[in-house]
Amino acid sequence: MIICKDLTKVYGIGAVQVRALAGVSVRIMRGEFVGIMGPSGSGKSTLLHMCGLLDRPTSGSITIDGIDVGTLDERARTQFRLNRLGYVFQDYALVPELTAKENVYLPSMTRGMTARECTLACSEILTLVGLGNRIHHLPGQMSGGEQQRVAIARALVNRPTLLLADEPCANLDSRNSKIILDLFQRLNRDLHQTIVMVSHEEWHMQYFDRIISMKDGVIEKEERRSGAGESGGPPHEPAGA
Amino acid sequence: MFEESKVAFFLAKRSIVRGNKGTLSLTILIIGMVFVNLIFLPSIITGVAVLFNQQSIDYSYGNLVIEPKKNQVFINNVGELQRKLERIPGVTGVSPRYVAAVTIVYKGNQVTPALYAINPDDEQTVLKTSTKVSSGSFLAGADSGQIVLGSRLAGNENEKLDATPSLGGVDVGKVVEVTFNNGVSRQYRVKGILTSNSFGVDTNAFITRTEYEDAFGFRDRANQILVRTRETGKENEMRNTLLSYGVQEEIWTWQEKSANFLNQIIGSFNIINFIGTAVSLVIAVVVIFIVIFINTVYRRKQIGILKAIGIDRSIIIKSYLFQALFIFAIGTLMGGLFLLIILQLLAANPIVFPGGPVAPVVDLPLIVRSIVSLFLVSLIAGYVPAWITTKEDILSAIRG
Repeated sequence: MIICKDLTKVYGIGAVQVRALAGVSVRIMRGEFVGIMGPSGSGKSTLLHMCGLLDRPTSGSITIDGIDVGTLDERARTQFRLNRLGYVFQDYALVPELTAKENVYLPSMTRGMTARECTLACSEILTLVGLGNRIHHLPGQMSGGEQQRVAIARALVNRPTLLLADEPCANLDSRNSKIILDLFQRLNRDLHQTIVMVSHEEWHMQYFDRIISMKDGVIEKEERRSGAGESGGPPHEPAGA
Repeated sequence: MFEESKVAFFLAKRSIVRGNKGTLSLTILIIGMVFVNLIFLPSIITGVAVLFNQQSIDYSYGNLVIEPKKNQVFINNVGELQRKLERIPGVTGVSPRYVAAVTIVYKGNQVTPALYAINPDDEQTVLKTSTKVSSGSFLAGADSGQIVLGSRLAGNENEKLDATPSLGGVDVGKVVEVTFNNGVSRQYRVKGILTSNSFGVDTNAFITRTEYEDAFGFRDRANQILVRTRETGKENEMRNTLLSYGVQEEIWTWQEKSANFLNQIIGSFNIINFIGTAVSLVIAVVVIFIVIFINTVYRRKQIGILKAIGIDRSIIIKSYLFQALFIFAIGTLMGGLFLLIILQLLAANPIVFPGGPVAPVVDLPLIVRSIVSLFLVSLIAGYVPAWITTKEDILSAIRG
């Protein structure tokens, strides 16, 4: 469970201050698929960065699985990210010199898993994301959608408590976006993977269990959805495409 | 720690294997050249020192030089001293000689060289001068009215070819006039010309001791006795041995006699060498630093991402360190190969110094020193840029 309490984030000093988060409290339960939505500058990515331990709040606290992550030093935060968090970036963020398998292999290897364990975990997760036959390809030899799936596999390989996705479909066309969202949904349903995803695409809402809408650094509203993912796909495509 | 290094090595290996080959090859080539530069110049300087040392022993001093006691001009009863010296264990040759400044005139050319008055048979037990006759022949014990000249002293008819004052091209069989410092002048027929490439031989003249003693009217004296010992390098021990046998004259080792000259040469070379080494190492630092720095700056975003997914900063730094060390290792190997080729070429076509052909001396301490200095430089040049770039916070790095 993730509990964010009264999070504020102020950028800049003196007179030129930007309040990116202005007292945000949110609770994310295990197994939820939460969408954070809102216009540009609403603070949705900032909130995601705080939950992902990529940035520290100016005030407030974040507790993940009972650990107050604000008390961790840099090295412990890195270990925490490695062992408990998975991150999917907008632009895939793969290491270009590593094959799909090696990109996925990297976090497991860093955790100290043996080569055999790493290979097993990689093959399993790459098959899960539908890339079992592309494991030896370099990122440059794959489409955007495939690269993003490798990135998802990399984020999942250490079985994280929380998967954070920062506009993962922003660079993808509708078809590939749907593949990624379907994959997230499958991971959420089948593996009970907790996912927090930032998006500003209206049609993504259908996949989320809960939508947190933000505006001007505060939560404007929270909406719990039922039957997520049951309706269709991107607006310009026929339902079920 | 080991796990970290394993991941860092994995990242470095992939970066090297799948990264830009052109930049990598060029960097390795530069490091190879730096390594050659670190070794080559000192090896030549050591070669020059070895050459000059050997020449000092073979053509100027032998191993020990005995000179008159303080405030005395000559060693008297030199025959007796010679016999005493020859009986000392470890002594293989003894050559009493007179050394004097004379004026030699030939066809209006007047030069003031050092004249060595020697017993040719004794001289051959100590020095190798007699083996360096380029025309004519060396002195014999019974010679009278004969002189042997060094080739630089004999000179050339075309004076532009002479680097030092000369007699303007004296050949074997010609007659030169020698004026001693007591005013006595004698005419001597040139018996031979010496070409040894040793300054101490090629610029001087040689007659027999008997000739010299005739000119001065004394016998059984010398102002220098050269001693050859069985082993080179144990001169101080041999000096003590000579003293223990009752030799009361001043005893010098060849190192002491040639110290000033050699130290000046080696001192000058060492300054050049120091500058060369410093410049080489600075080049190595700059090249590796720039390559790693550009690499890390170019991958700034990637470094941010790696940190974001939980790869510790120390792993990323180590991966760049491994790359720098790879460049160092392959560069050093390549440099070693270049050096081997250069040494082979120099063995076939040696560099000829005024003292003779110089063989570069590449010894283990020099190689170790060069490898260690290049290793340290690579370590620093790899570490600093990686440290600087990875210091940036994750979000700034990711945003670029």
